[in-house]
Parts: sequence; structure tokens; C-alpha cells
Amino acid sequence: MASVHESLYFNPMMTNGVVHANVFGIKDWVTPYKISVLALLYEMTAKVSLPKRRRLNELILPLLQGPDLSFGQLVRTVEEYCPQTASSVVLRLHDMADGELRDMEQFFSTLPFTAFDTEAYKTSVVGLFMRHMLLAYNKLSFSQVYKLYKSLQQYYHSHYAKPLSTLNFDGSDMDLTSTEDTVGDRMDKDELDTPLHESELRSDNAPSKGPLSQKQAEYFLARQAYLLKNDENKALKPAALQEELNNMLKFNPDFAEAHYLNYLNSMRVQDIFLSAHSLLHYFDRLILSGNEGKSNGDEGYGRSLRYAALNLASLHCRFGHYQQADLALQEAIRIAQESNDHVCLQHCLSWLYTLEQMKGSDSTVLTEDSVKMAAHFCLRYLASLGIQSLVQQGATQGKTAHKLMDALKDTDILHWKHSLSELIEISLAQTTSIWRMYGKSTMSAQQAQLLLNMSSLEPVNFGVHQNNTEAFAVALCHLAELHAEQGLYSAVSEIHQHLKTQFPPHTQHAKLWMLCDLKIQFDRHMNEGKYHLAEPLIVAMSALDKTQGLYRKALVLKALNQSTEAYKVLQRLQVHCDKTKCTELTIRVMLSTAELHWESSGFSTALPLLLQALALARQHHLQSLASETILHLAFTQMLSLQLMLGVPEQALNFLHEAIEPVLAHGSVMDKGRALLLTARCQMAVAGFKPNRQGHTDLKMLTLAVDTLNDATTYFSKLNCTERLREIHHLQAQLYHALGQKSQCNKSAMLFRLLDQELQTPALPVSMRL
Amino acid sequence: MAALCSEFGDLAEIKKQLISVIYLCKERGLQHTAKWASELAFALDPLPKDEVPPAPEFTEEDAKDLDALTLAKSYFDLKEYDRAAYFLKDCCSKKAYFLYMYSRYLSGEKKKDDETVDSLGPLEKGQVRNEALRELRVELSKKHTASELDGFTLYLYGVVLRKLDLLKEAVEVFVEAIHALPLHWGAWLELSNLVTSTEMLKSLSLPDSWIREFFMAHMYTELQMIKEALQKYQSLIEAGFSKSTYIISQIAVAYHNIRDIDQALSLFYELRTQDPFRIDNMDTFSNLLYVKGMKPELSFLAHNLVEIDKYRVETCCVIGNYYSLRSQHEKAALYFQRALKLNPRCLGAWTLMGHEYMEMKNTSAAIQAYRHAIEVNKRDYRAWYGLGQTYEILKMPFYCLYYYRKAHQLRPNDSRMLVALGESYERLSQQVEAKKCYWRAYSVGDVEKMALLKLAKLHEQLNESDDAAQCYMLYIQDIFSCGEQLEHAEVSTALRYLGQYYFKNKLYDEASLCAQRCCDYNDAREEGKALLRQISQVRDQIETPSADLFVPLSNNTPVRRVSPLNLISFTP
Repeated sequence: MASVHESLYFNPMMTNGVVHANVFGIKDWVTPYKISVLALLYEMTAKVSLPKRRRLNELILPLLQGPDLSFGQLVRTVEEYCPQTASSVVLRLHDMADGELRDMEQFFSTLPFTAFDTEAYKTSVVGLFMRHMLLAYNKLSFSQVYKLYKSLQQYYHSHYAKPLSTLNFDGSDMDLTSTEDTVGDRMDKDELDTPLHESELRSDNAPSKGPLSQKQAEYFLARQAYLLKNDENKALKPAALQEELNNMLKFNPDFAEAHYLNYLNSMRVQDIFLSAHSLLHYFDRLILSGNEGKSNGDEGYGRSLRYAALNLASLHCRFGHYQQADLALQEAIRIAQESNDHVCLQHCLSWLYTLEQMKGSDSTVLTEDSVKMAAHFCLRYLASLGIQSLVQQGATQGKTAHKLMDALKDTDILHWKHSLSELIEISLAQTTSIWRMYGKSTMSAQQAQLLLNMSSLEPVNFGVHQNNTEAFAVALCHLAELHAEQGLYSAVSEIHQHLKTQFPPHTQHAKLWMLCDLKIQFDRHMNEGKYHLAEPLIVAMSALDKTQGLYRKALVLKALNQSTEAYKVLQRLQVHCDKTKCTELTIRVMLSTAELHWESSGFSTALPLLLQALALARQHHLQSLASETILHLAFTQMLSLQLMLGVPEQALNFLHEAIEPVLAHGSVMDKGRALLLTARCQMAVAGFKPNRQGHTDLKMLTLAVDTLNDATTYFSKLNCTERLREIHHLQAQLYHALGQKSQCNKSAMLFRLLDQELQTPALPVSMRL
Repeated sequence: MAALCSEFGDLAEIKKQLISVIYLCKERGLQHTAKWASELAFALDPLPKDEVPPAPEFTEEDAKDLDALTLAKSYFDLKEYDRAAYFLKDCCSKKAYFLYMYSRYLSGEKKKDDETVDSLGPLEKGQVRNEALRELRVELSKKHTASELDGFTLYLYGVVLRKLDLLKEAVEVFVEAIHALPLHWGAWLELSNLVTSTEMLKSLSLPDSWIREFFMAHMYTELQMIKEALQKYQSLIEAGFSKSTYIISQIAVAYHNIRDIDQALSLFYELRTQDPFRIDNMDTFSNLLYVKGMKPELSFLAHNLVEIDKYRVETCCVIGNYYSLRSQHEKAALYFQRALKLNPRCLGAWTLMGHEYMEMKNTSAAIQAYRHAIEVNKRDYRAWYGLGQTYEILKMPFYCLYYYRKAHQLRPNDSRMLVALGESYERLSQQVEAKKCYWRAYSVGDVEKMALLKLAKLHEQLNESDDAAQCYMLYIQDIFSCGEQLEHAEVSTALRYLGQYYFKNKLYDEASLCAQRCCDYNDAREEGKALLRQISQVRDQIETPSADLFVPLSNNTPVRRVSPLNLISFTP
């Protein structure tokens, strides 16, 4: 089960993924855009019919509060509401831009418009805006007024230079690529060298754009940060974003939020140096602004220090530097303790247990403490996160299922109440994983579908649903594996295609689907008996997950009959599993070891191993593994029976216990294997011996034929030729005993065809399940 | 060396070259290079009358442009750049062309500076730019591809490229410029600003001229390769430039960089006598006086400089240092701020202001100042170090590691960063790392003589008595060999530990020696006496069984045991 708990980076400046960049004490500045809005307001006083006027009034607020738009965008927006007004706005601006400075001055002298008196009361939004603008304009010095006029001209003409059709209004069009070179004669900026060169060439034929307003920059940052969090694919490419940020920082090195975005961006490409650098830089800057901006200066400033250390810890955690993360975390805890910041302490604690968990040590006690304290301080998010983490630990430690499910259900109620959608997603993904672990494939699939079909509770900003969290990745991976188990490979490949686009290879959660993809491919090759194809996959798998790779290596070695090597690997794995307490793998290793023992006919050594595995599986409620163990046990019994002339009925009875869950929840492979085994037991019960006439129970034999037919359908689904060959062989013998010549011939022919195709000699009395 | 001597053999020839280049630069308004060359020429013996080089000959084109050029040059000198450019537009001589382009460039720069004052908003502030640059670049690059540029225009082209942040191209053009006109020091200086590493320096193909030696020496100082720089300057002095104030000041700065304070101070004194009205480099001088705590000298210097010119960055820095030394940190910060107003890219002032804020315990302002310093120059190790110190004061040892590491990267052989790193590691209980840092700090030459003591204490904590004793031993040797008394010296601690150590290892002679030495220090006297008493007791017991018991024992000392130390030679 993948670790679902991966706490989100906590940033005091960020709520709902939007960076609030208002730290510079923005003052209102007159910009060309604002002049156009003023012109719009002015035109609205003219003869406009009442319904149109109403629609325009709706438009005013977003225009006033939004970022600066280009003139084309503005005109298009207004046109949608009232084409007539739009054209008069254009006309008015044309008068100003193509006229003289005097025209603009005259325009401002009419402010605030008297005709507005009724609607634009002094303290209304519009009234305030107009008065603000007037004040700001009056404050300008002569040269500034001239400059404003110049930029107004540029603003107006930049729209005119382009034909209208190329202006696409979707907000994403905002291009920050600034072509300027500035005061900056910084020496060490070699890396900026080439991009600047290009952008400069571009600018030679395009008129340079007007200055970038504070709001535009903020909007850009907020948008990119939101996209990075929610749907990375829609954000700018890492390199492009970096370039934009560099540009922005060059013009305004004080824009601290850009550093934070830079940090997030570097995290995307796993660049530890740059991300650490940007993070520290951001907090250095934040400390200043915190001190300046707030009246209770010391508090804001100490707070950012604590979170700085905490963020540093999370950074190291993410890059897998556990020792460093530990040190940084200790520091954060110490500072938080000194200043009695309980909320920060709780965040630290939740990171602490996450870190312990990542290091692979038991952190149940810590987590429990964290939950208790978080509940005490009413930190719902942290408390629920802690409970989820506890559930995960409980599941691996074999806690009873109903307790886990109860805990999840209770927290779910809380989540829905407070609409913590992120946690709801995690909880669903967790249930998917737990059901899957218990071997209930249908339940698991159902939960996964529930998550994928759920519509998010988060407000949809910028037209993006959040669907790139780890929860989604986990659910999708489970879904892919579940489909693969049923042999629906085309569906699997579709899911993978989706995963690949949703979580590109360089992203944080990409490892999940990579491993899942490799597992599925491996299993497929193994089922089809193409061991040479499976082998190279092991290397890739080991890179992603060492233990899984090792286990798969043992499987391949076993399949290639290199028993001693396989045994050695399995022994190593056993030791490792005992250390890490990974129950699922432990049982699987035991089963594989038992299979190795069969080959050396060590049935008596295999038995205790299998019994131990069964006990473990039952203890941890791992139903699928339990039934698989039972299959193994039955097989052992049957094989040893053949040698020791025991009672085959018992094996058959034993099988009945397992066959039901296998048929209900098991994978196609498991079903086929179970049926094949049943058929062989039935044959044994019937007293069937090939090449020897004796008393045989013909009724039982026909039953065995039917069972084999069922098994054939399963195996052919997976294209599992080796086993099909075996089945055809058995069928031919059975038909022969039953005296059905034509059927017998048919089976024999099928066997012959497959045998020619396979070329490898069949195993003696097939020694495998 | 021989090659160098031969290069400098003909000082008269060099002087001739200098005089001609001074003339050329003056004609083109390149005042800084003219100043540098004149200073250098002044340091050489005067030429006999008939050897003074004549003014360069007049071409047909020059004659045609003469009137326009003279007019434009006078406008240029009065900083009326646009006017100068207007009258030069139709000239065709190379000299006029340079002046034309140069005045356009300067006019752009001037406007840019003026614009910064009234901008239209906070974000726009950084966007003010020299509008002329792009046009200049287009025109110059056209001429460049047609290879119509001479040394001076190439230099201008390089400057334009650098201002446009096209650094790679700029380096190439500057190299071309110095090949075309090796004597133009301005081009060398611009190039030196673009060279970031030794590798890059080696990869450049530089013209074979005597001026190259000056450049290399300058470059070595910039790249913190002080030893090489000093060597170069020494050989330049030997070659005949001994009177040059430029070289003296450069050597002094180099000594300042390796913190050889006394040498640097004496050089600065010499400089002051030779050139009493000099303001350049005086901020470095004041730093030295500050470090030495020489209040009266600093005060004298400050007053003197204020009389010369109070609106110079250097003057403000000196006054800032003066106030800082008098612990008037608010005033100090004020003066550093004034220095920054005069030149916002003045690196030293940012860092010094950071230090002042640190003194005032205004950590956030200090962080701001240091961050600004880093923005101006990422390679400013003092700012990184200062940031580290700030966070250390805020009790964030892990956080400050990053900054110290940065500082250490920039100055790998500076013990202060290493000691600071070690202390941070120690605070994080990373003893292994801490030990490495301290040992390294000692090996690169510890300035403050603290590394060994700290290392010894660390060993002591970890119960590694042999190592601890060895470190204390080295520490004592170190302290006494440097001659002067240091305030924080903890010789007594070292002696106390060594005494106990020898006593435990049954080396009674050494132990008693240490104990006796202990008695010289107030804080360790009692312990010293007690140890002496213990030793004499044990000796009494040993003497009775047999004397030769002692012999095998001392032979059995562990391999890493410290060799007994001859303490008699030390005078405490």
C-alpha cells in the first residue's frame, strides 16, 4: 500500500493554493488600463438603455478588481455586453492617444463625472475608484504625466497593430516575457544569456509591451501556483516558467512570492540546489515584509522563521535526506516551543511521524499523540491526517478490519462536514488500498471508481479540477492492477495512458504508476511464459523499489530452474521482510520458498512453511493470500499423496474451502489454477491413472473434464500456453479413458500444436501449481 | 622572471605608449582610462624632450570633421550628450564615430538614471532601461560583422552587450578589443568583471603585452588567489613601477583580503603620504583601522576625507566605520545608507550596513541588507557569512549551515567560515562533521586560533583523550608561537587538561611541568597545586618498589600518545 500520507507543503502565505502576494502595501497607480476603465465609466453615463446598463454594471466590479488587461481584451469583453459602448470607448481613447497631452489632462479634469452622482456615491466602489485615480493622477510629476501619456499611446497602438482576430481572450494569454534588459549589470547571470538573446530578437520586430503591473504579476503567480498544485500539465513547462520568473525577479527582486514559485518549480524537476536556494531566499524576504507590514511585527516575523525551518525540513524530506530533515525539524520544534506556537508544533509533530514512517520505523505512539493534541487545538486537518496515518499503520500491523473501517468512517463524517476534500480523497484511496490488501477486488474497484467519479468540493479556479493528488494516482494504479488481474489488458493500457498524461514522468507521484506498469508487464510475461522478456524489467523495478525487484528476481530465477540462486535471494528477502514487518511480502516469499521445496520433493519441509503462511494471512485478514496458501497446501497434499498413497478426498475437501473466495475475488490466473488443481484432485479421487486400466469413477471423470474446460477458458484469456498445453494433455487422457475418441483426438491435436509452438519440454508431472 | 624583465626592459618605450594612449583616450572622453594611464606614466621617469611622442597624425577625414568634433567634444564634456550626438551625426572619421556612439550611450544611461526617480509604480521601478542600447547594438553589430570597428568602438560594443546581459558575446568582443588596442585599460577592466573562474581566465586568449601582467594581477586579486597576485605585483614593482600608487593600493587591498593587517596598513600609510588627497580605496583602509580598533587614526581619516569630498561613497563608508567603532550604530547605518544612495550598487556598503543592523539587534533589517548585497554580487562571502551569523543569533543552527556553506564555498581557505560551520555542527550534535571542520580550519591557517581549542574540547567531550591532548598541545604551541597575547586564549584550560592527561598516563615529569605552568594562571592555580601534590604523593609510592618499573611503562605508551613537550622554552 503506497503511503497515502504525504502532507502538503504548508506555507503560511498560501490558502487554497493561492498565494496572497499583497505584502508591499500596494498603492494605486494610474495605468493605461485604468484610464480605459475610466473611459468606460464615462461612456456609461451617456445614453445606454437600462438593461444594457445593468449588464455593464455587472462587468464593472471584475474589471476594477482584476489584473490589468490588454486593450484588445478589454474591448472584446465590453463588446460582449454592449458593442455600442465599446466603440465609443475606443473612440474616446483614440481621441486621447492620437491627440495631444492636453486631451488626457482634460479627461482627468472631468473626474469625478458629475452625471454619475446618483449611482456613484462618494463611498461606493466606483466612486472610490474614481477618486483614487484622480488623487493618484494629481500626485504625478510632470515627467510622470508625460510618461503615462506615452504608455497610453503605446497601450492603444499595441492593440491597433494586431488584427483583432489574433486576440484571444482566455486570460491565459498573458505573456510576461519581457524583452527588456535593465540596470542589471550582474555578472553571474550567464544562464540567462541565451534566452535573453532570443527574446531580444523577437522584440526587434514587435513593439515592446507596457510595464507589468503589480496585479498582473500577482495574478500570474497565483495562477501558476494554483495550477502547479492542482493540475501540473496545464501550468507552464518548468523551463518556461523559470524563464518568466527570472524575468520577473530581474525587474523586481523584492517580489518574494516569485521565489516561492521558483522553489515549487524547481521541486518539479527535482533540483535540490535551486529549490533550497529559492526557499531560503523566499523566507529571507518574507521575514522582512512580515516585520514591516504588521503592527505586531515580532509575532509575524518569528512565525515565518518557524515555518521557514519547517519548510526546509519538508524539502529535505522530499528529497529523501532524512537526517537533514530530522535536524531541520528539530530546529523548527525548538523555536516553536520557545515561542509557544502550538499550531506550528502540531505541524512539526505531524511531519515528525511522517518522517519516522518514511525512515521505516514504528511511529504509532507519535501519531497517536499528534492526533490527540491536534484534536485538542481544533486542528481538524492535522487530526484527520493523523488518524489516516494510524489506519495505514494499523492495516499493515494486522489490526481488525472493522476497527479500521470504523475509524475511517468517523473521520469521513468530519471531512464531509467541513468539506476537507483533500482528506476525503485520501480516505477513499486508503479504503481502496485496504480492500485490495484484504483481497476483496470488487469492493476495491468500487471504492476506486467512487473516488474517480466524485466531483471535487474545492472551488474550481481557472477551470481546473484538482485531480493530480497522490490519492488519484493510487486509485488509478489499483484500478489498473485490478483490470490486469482480470486479463483486460486494453483497459489497463488506457488507464496507463491517462496516468502518463496526468502525472508526467518527472512529477512527484510518477513513480507509483511506473512501478505499477512494470509489475503488470512482468506478471503478464510470466504468465505467458516469456521469461526472457520479464527479466529486463527487474532492473527497472529494482530502481523504483528494491524489495519488489528482488522478489521478482527470485520468481524469474525459479521459473528458469536456477533453484539455488532463487533460494538464496528468497532467504535474503525473508530476512529483510522480518526486519521491515512487511506481511504481504513475507507470505509471498514463504509461498515461493515452499514452491522451491516441491521441486526438490521436500514436501515435509514445505508444509510447516505453508502453515505458518496461512496463520499469518489469517491473522492479517489477507483473504486472497490465505486462499492462495490453501491452494498451495492442497497441492502439497496432493503431490505427497501421490507418493504416499494417501486419501485424495481430503485434498478435495480442503480445496472446497478456498475455491469459493478465489472464484469470487481472485484474479483470472488464480481462478484457472484453482480449477486445474480441483480437476487433478477429482481425477485422483476417481482413481484415474494414465496408461493403466483399473476401476475408475467415470462420473467423477466427466466432472473433472468440465472443470478443466472452465480452467481452459480462464487460461486462454491470459494466453497462458504452458498451462493450456498441460490441460489439453490431461483432457486427452481423460477423454481416452471415457472412450470419447473424437474429443480425445481434438485435445491431442491442440496439445500437439501448443507443444510445437512452445518447444520447451513439458515438466514431468507438472510440479507447479 | 627573465621574460618579464625583457618585456619591461624598455620602460621608456612603455612610457611612450602610455602617453600616446592618454592622448587618444582624452580625445574620446574616456576619462577613467586616461586617469589610470596617467597615474602609471607619472610613476615612470620623465622622457627627454626629443623622445616625447608627437600627437597622432591628422588624416583627411579628421580634418574634415575637425570643427564638428571640437564642438561636439565640448558639448560632451559638459554632459550635453544628445547635443553632441546631433552634431556628430554626419561625421565619417573613426574618432567622431566613436564619440557619436559613446555620447548616445551615455545619454541613454543618464536618462535611465533620471527616469528611476519618477517611475509610475513599484513594479516599473526595475523596468527602467537604457532605450538606446538596442539601437546601438544593432548598428554596432552590423559594423562588427563588416569588421569596421577599431579598438575603442569594439570596447563600446562590448559594454553595450554587457548591459544587455549578453555576457558570452561581450567577453568575445572585449577580447577582440584588447587585441586591437592592448593599451586601453578600460577594456581589460570590463573583461575582468566578466571572468568568473580560473578556468575561464585560462581559456581566454590575451595579447602578449606588458599590460597583460597588470590584468593578471588584478584578476588574481578578484579571484581571491592572493599569493599569485602578490607575486605578480612584486615583479611589477621590481620591473620599475615602484612609484605607482595604483600598484601600492592594489597590494594593500590584496593584503587586506588575506587579512594581513599590518602589511596592508603600512602600505596604506605609504599611499597616504604619496597621495594625500586620494579617496579611492580609502574605505578598505578604514576597514583595516576598524579591525585594529584604531579610533584616533580612523577619526583623522574621516575628517580628512570629509574635507576633500564628502559626497563620495568611500567617504560615507569611512564615516560609517568611524561611527560603528564608536558604537553609534544608528548613525553608522545612516551613513552607509547615504553611500548607497550615492551608488546603489556599492557592495561593501550593503554588507557593512548589515553588520550595523546586526549590532543593533535588528535581525530582519540585517537580513534585508545582506540579501541586497548578495543580489549585487552573488560572490560576496561576507554577506553570506553575515546571513549565517544572523540565523545563528536567531538560534537556528541548521538553517545557518546553508549560508555558512555558501560562504565557505566562496572562500574555501578561510578559517572563520570553517569555525562557524564547525560550531553549527557542534550545536546540532554532529560531532564528526564538526571535528572535520575544526581540523580543516586549523590546517588552512586559523586566524583567530580558536579552532584547535574547540577541537580539543570536542575530543574531550567524546572521551578521546589522546586526540584531545594532541590538540591542546598544538594549541599551546600555536598560541605561544604567534607571540602576541590573545584575549580569549585559554592556555590554562589546555595546561590543566594536559597535566591530568600526563598524570593518568603516568608521565609524571611532564605532568608536573604542566602543573607548574598552571600555577602561572589565576584561574588554574589551585588545580595546578593540587595536581603537584598528587604527583609527589604517587612518586613517593613508586620510588619505594623500584625505579625501573617506570621504564617499561613509558615504552608502552600508546602509539598515538603525544610526545612530551618541552615547555621550558615557552614564556607565558
